[in-house]
Amino acid sequence: MRALFQFLIDAIREMFRGSRRYWGWIFLLVALFTQAVFSYTHQMQTGLVVTGMSDQVSWGFYISNFAFFVGIAAAAVLLVVPAYIFDRKDIKQVVLLGEGMAIAAVIVALMFVVTDLGRPERIWHVIPYLGRMNFPDSILAWDVVVLTGYFLLNLGIMFYVLFLHYRDREPKSRLYSVFVVIGMFWAISIHTVTAFMFSSNPSRSMWHTSLLGPRFISSAFASGPALIIITLGVIHNATRYKIDRTVIDTLALTMTIALQISLFFVGVEMFTDFYNEGQHGASIRYLFLGLEGLGQLRPWIWAALIMNLIAVTILMIHPLRRNMKWLNTACVLTFLGIWIEKGMGLVVPGFIPTTLGEVFEYSPTSTELSIAVGIWAVGMLVFTLLAKTVIAVELGELKYKEPVRYTQRGF
Amino acid sequence: MSNTKKKKARSVNRETDISRRTFVKGVGAIGSVTAAAAAATTASAASWGGKTMQDAFGEFFQDHYKKMTPEEIEEALTRIERNAERKTGVNIQCENTPPIPGVLFGYAINISKCKGYRDCVYACVEENNLGRDSQMQYIRVLEMEQGTRNLEKSEHYYDPETVPQEGKYYMPVQCMQCENPPCVKACPVEATWKEPDGIVVIDYNWCIGCRMCMSACPYWARHFNWTEPELPTEVVHPVTHYLGNRPRMRGVTEKCHFCIQRTRKGRLPACAEACPNGARIFGNLLDPNSEIRYVLENKDVFRLKEELGTEPKMWYFSD
Amino acid sequence: MTRNRVLLLLALFAYVPAGFAQARQEVTEPGILVNPAAVEFSIFPRKPELNYYPCTQCHQFLTPNPEVRELLSPHPSTLDHGDQRIWCLTCHKIDDRDYLTNLLGESIDFDNAPEVCASCHMQRHNDWMFGGHGKRAGNWQGERAIYSCPHCHDPHSPMIEARAPKPLPPVRKGLERPENVREEHLSIWERLEKRDHE
Repeated sequence: MRALFQFLIDAIREMFRGSRRYWGWIFLLVALFTQAVFSYTHQMQTGLVVTGMSDQVSWGFYISNFAFFVGIAAAAVLLVVPAYIFDRKDIKQVVLLGEGMAIAAVIVALMFVVTDLGRPERIWHVIPYLGRMNFPDSILAWDVVVLTGYFLLNLGIMFYVLFLHYRDREPKSRLYSVFVVIGMFWAISIHTVTAFMFSSNPSRSMWHTSLLGPRFISSAFASGPALIIITLGVIHNATRYKIDRTVIDTLALTMTIALQISLFFVGVEMFTDFYNEGQHGASIRYLFLGLEGLGQLRPWIWAALIMNLIAVTILMIHPLRRNMKWLNTACVLTFLGIWIEKGMGLVVPGFIPTTLGEVFEYSPTSTELSIAVGIWAVGMLVFTLLAKTVIAVELGELKYKEPVRYTQRGF
Repeated sequence: MSNTKKKKARSVNRETDISRRTFVKGVGAIGSVTAAAAAATTASAASWGGKTMQDAFGEFFQDHYKKMTPEEIEEALTRIERNAERKTGVNIQCENTPPIPGVLFGYAINISKCKGYRDCVYACVEENNLGRDSQMQYIRVLEMEQGTRNLEKSEHYYDPETVPQEGKYYMPVQCMQCENPPCVKACPVEATWKEPDGIVVIDYNWCIGCRMCMSACPYWARHFNWTEPELPTEVVHPVTHYLGNRPRMRGVTEKCHFCIQRTRKGRLPACAEACPNGARIFGNLLDPNSEIRYVLENKDVFRLKEELGTEPKMWYFSD
Repeated sequence: MTRNRVLLLLALFAYVPAGFAQARQEVTEPGILVNPAAVEFSIFPRKPELNYYPCTQCHQFLTPNPEVRELLSPHPSTLDHGDQRIWCLTCHKIDDRDYLTNLLGESIDFDNAPEVCASCHMQRHNDWMFGGHGKRAGNWQGERAIYSCPHCHDPHSPMIEARAPKPLPPVRKGLERPENVREEHLSIWERLEKRDHE
């Protein structure tokens, strides 16, 4: 018990300890979050009219980011599986960072959902027994359950392992392995349920496809490692924690295959909707070619497609993939490309044309962007603080010291 | 030995660390600025959103409609009446008329008779206390191309000199009150459900505003209060129902509820009464002698998007 | 059995062809042509809405003239009904202008005008009795009060006039309606004709 308290105190103390660069980074994130608080207050007082959403396009930037970041959270499993199932020692050293990223991503996703709500103070209505959760009918209810579960699972596992490392021990419990395996399946489920949230609606022909679940998973497994590689690179360069090259190689290989599959899925969707084009293809026509003279998303989606194609080309060329500069470029391109394609490029065209055939566009307002930046900042802040603790523990700087016992005879 | 090591480590840190004290000071400064700004922006708004603290808390902690006792429902109704009086100055009645047993409402629209006047749209706005500034409308009349039922070729914003226009026909769309409603299934908190008389209702005090129902609805029937609905005193319709046309708040979804405050008392919905051409036929599907049954059994009726399996209770026919 | 139903049955028995037609007087309740399967209803009376009723105040002094011709005012000189197949005395009883008449020459009260219309518009009349056509006032259950045909269709010009629609729907506060470029929606033959002309 005493060790637990000491661990928490030490961890928090560690979060407050750092170089000028570290504090500069923290201050930047806090500042970004603060400006978002002002925007959100404005949104709370005036209503969601401050966003660009309408009855026609009732989900926008917030839910786009939500869908994307659930994918990032799910991608942590790509570190967990090699670490524990394939017993890769090199990946074991970064698995805690991966779980930290998952926790941060889940927090970001949940924050995006809460800011999207019209009456966020009523969020307690979704708690079973206290409120009234429409389980198992509502997919959103499922999403709440699986995301909360995933958050607690990752938090628990990470905390448990970290605490043991802090005490210079290794996890041995059988139960722990069970939870890890549960966590792996749970990771797939969070993103599949998020995909089902969209694909369960037969009213939206662009989403109502069995391919949406696989598309979500494959794009998550491409964008997740992209972010992890960039982050590990930053950690490698900015801290004393050195990452093995083999970790990056494994992640890069996973990313390549996932991106290839993801692009294949995009191609399949385009063929299915454009070969014998009927009304089913109206949304995808709006996205890529425009509809009724309107096509705000065209430059975005084409840019995303080109970025992804460049990225996959880089990744498929072995020497380039092994070069950190090329790899980082590919990671940035992949991350941005998938963020566009899976975020706004999926959520917004689902509403265009509306179910009554109206073409009405959407673009995020400055308030939405401001709040989104704040939420991203929170995610980065959470990850920074967790990573700080993880690195300190893994490097052995943070260790539990048994209390010195003093005897009657003095020291 | 360990003590000296510790001392050394600390001295190393002191050179590069920004002390904790500075950080706390900084956070405190930001925090106080935020708090001051937040206080300044909220000071102008009425306390508790224009309600008494008791009413605000009572409304916040209100339970789900299906779990409330009759006393709690009575309390909720009087609270709504008090809040509306405070806000609009009108003494409204908020009722909770139960469904009439043996009744399942159905609606049929004669698209040969509908000429696109939009009388129904504005009658509904008046009857159901729809926000005037936010311009919420439950009914949307589509101007369709003659010879096609393709909704993508429809015009929502027709505004000619006279209607009907050559080569067009008109089709009003509102909540279809499906027997198998996808919105009810989608709602994570069960803020919307199907009542025994077939009306799909929303409890505006329970809705969290996630808009999952709006994605699920195939008929664009559900509308969101993006802003606080404005209801000037002179247009308030005082006879309201808890699940119907009682004054709503921003951040919740609403839709056509077959004028539940009228139909549960035997009256026609406002849109049916307003149509000058008698294009709207409303009644009890379980009554074999009703007009709606006559239409469904003798006319060539169809429903929109039937292939989605929603079982809408609004039919269209021509004759 | 209500009084109305009794009268109805009596009237049904009275409706025997050859000779009895002239014996029947005005029908105040929904007349003989009421389908007994229809739910009982009452009609909003028309006589209070008529400007020149009772017509005999002038016509008692005038000789009935069965010749098809254009009439002088205050009567409408043209009849935009039936495309020249009918004229005034098709519906107005020549020997008693306070009544309408049907194809059998029976007297029909102005409040029972639907019976006249039913002579030619039987299907519509049937729909109207059962509620598939026309308008019910106020309630969907209980007392059924419906409007009679002339209430909506002026018998001298029954086509419903085009009128201005109410304002178009709004878009959400703070947003603008986009400038949609609507495609030309041509039918298959129009497309072929257009292609042939190019």
